[in-house]
Amino acid sequence: MVEPMFFGNSVNVARYDQQKHPIFEKLIEKQISFFWRPEEVDVSKDRVDFSKLTEAEKHIFISNLKYQTLLDSVQGRSPNIAFLPIISLPELETWVETWSFFETIHSRSYTHILRNLFSNPSEVFDDIVVNEEIKRRATDISKYYDDLIFATQLYQSQGEGTYELDGETHVINLRELKKLLYLCMNSVNALEAIRFYVSFACTFAFAERELMEGNSKIIRLIARDENIHLTSTQHILNLWAKGKDDPEMAEIAHECADQAREIFLTAVQQEKEWAKYLFKDGSMLGLNEAILCDYVEYIANQRMGAIGLKHEFESKSNPLPWMNNYLSSDNVQVAPQEVEVSSYLVSQIDAEVSADDFGDFDL
Amino acid sequence: MKNQTTSTTSKSQNVIDIDYLTLPSKDGDSVLETLEKANLDVHFNCREGYCGVCRTKLLAGTVEYRVEPLAFIDDDEILTCCTIPTSNLKIKMEY
Repeated sequence: MVEPMFFGNSVNVARYDQQKHPIFEKLIEKQISFFWRPEEVDVSKDRVDFSKLTEAEKHIFISNLKYQTLLDSVQGRSPNIAFLPIISLPELETWVETWSFFETIHSRSYTHILRNLFSNPSEVFDDIVVNEEIKRRATDISKYYDDLIFATQLYQSQGEGTYELDGETHVINLRELKKLLYLCMNSVNALEAIRFYVSFACTFAFAERELMEGNSKIIRLIARDENIHLTSTQHILNLWAKGKDDPEMAEIAHECADQAREIFLTAVQQEKEWAKYLFKDGSMLGLNEAILCDYVEYIANQRMGAIGLKHEFESKSNPLPWMNNYLSSDNVQVAPQEVEVSSYLVSQIDAEVSADDFGDFDL
Repeated sequence: MKNQTTSTTSKSQNVIDIDYLTLPSKDGDSVLETLEKANLDVHFNCREGYCGVCRTKLLAGTVEYRVEPLAFIDDDEILTCCTIPTSNLKIKMEY
């Protein structure tokens, strides 16, 4: 039970009888119990709703989907690439794999939503990589992952040392790597804590007007998953900070506290800018830039408190109280008779009967 | 107001002290439900112990969990959404 979460001995046999941090196993179980498939949600009515939206509302709806597609593309891939090579606990390894798998479900559901709205969704997807507003955020989101992945590769292939690559000097040692890991985890935490929620708020604001409800059903399932992911990054950060894992990580958490705070505040600032971009052509009923920015500050206070950071913003009550109706899990559980599950019977029973089947019957 | 609420509290019933208020806790109600019934502005999301939004400081008293909490909580904190008081409580809202 001496292995730390990261940078200990490699994971070896995937055994879960001895666990240093059993919380990850519990998170895996909870996450798996949430399993869902986008195809189970009928989004066909959304097409009619979408055609009735104003141009400003269409911009809000589509831009959010684009941004969420980007976020989940990053999250479906990067935790695996960045964290798996350096994880030293099997339960944490399996958690990261489970987490990433669910992000890929999210990615697939955006295609499911867009396919239904457009005969050719390529245009929307193509814009994700050229849209300046999205690109600016993408850089910040992936930067910390990139730094960690790069340094890990150098460390694992070359060992500690100073390396000159493309005119840049890289100092690689375990302490530096742990610092990069700490910053990366903070950036992921901010992503799960703040970045998704501006889009969620817009989706649920449509649903409050009984519009785009199929989409809202899917986003509700996604929001529930993201909540679990956020819990996991909060656990990791708190285990480090409270000295319950690697003592060196506790030192680093202390040392890099200001940088961690800065990462969070940058995410808050960028999301406020995103809100401004969303509402550039006009607001939608029940939601505008100011309320959305208030909401970002409101959740930022909560999320920062959860990882031991000071509240940065004036505390106030929830500016979007109806959000809780969509985020509470009581309302997510869908009874089987409420969903149209059409796929579970496919190919399960062979109903073909030919005369030959009765060939050896004697009467 | 404080005196009024406490005077209607039966002996076996637990009460929840929060800042300047004393609320009687109905049997089987979670701490969050009691706070909601008193129309207090409370924070919550999942109501199932995994998001941690309802994290609250427990100053005195004991609670029992309906479901195992998955969100990170410190030793002196509880999740109001899934705890039932097993004694009189004194809590402090985070915000």
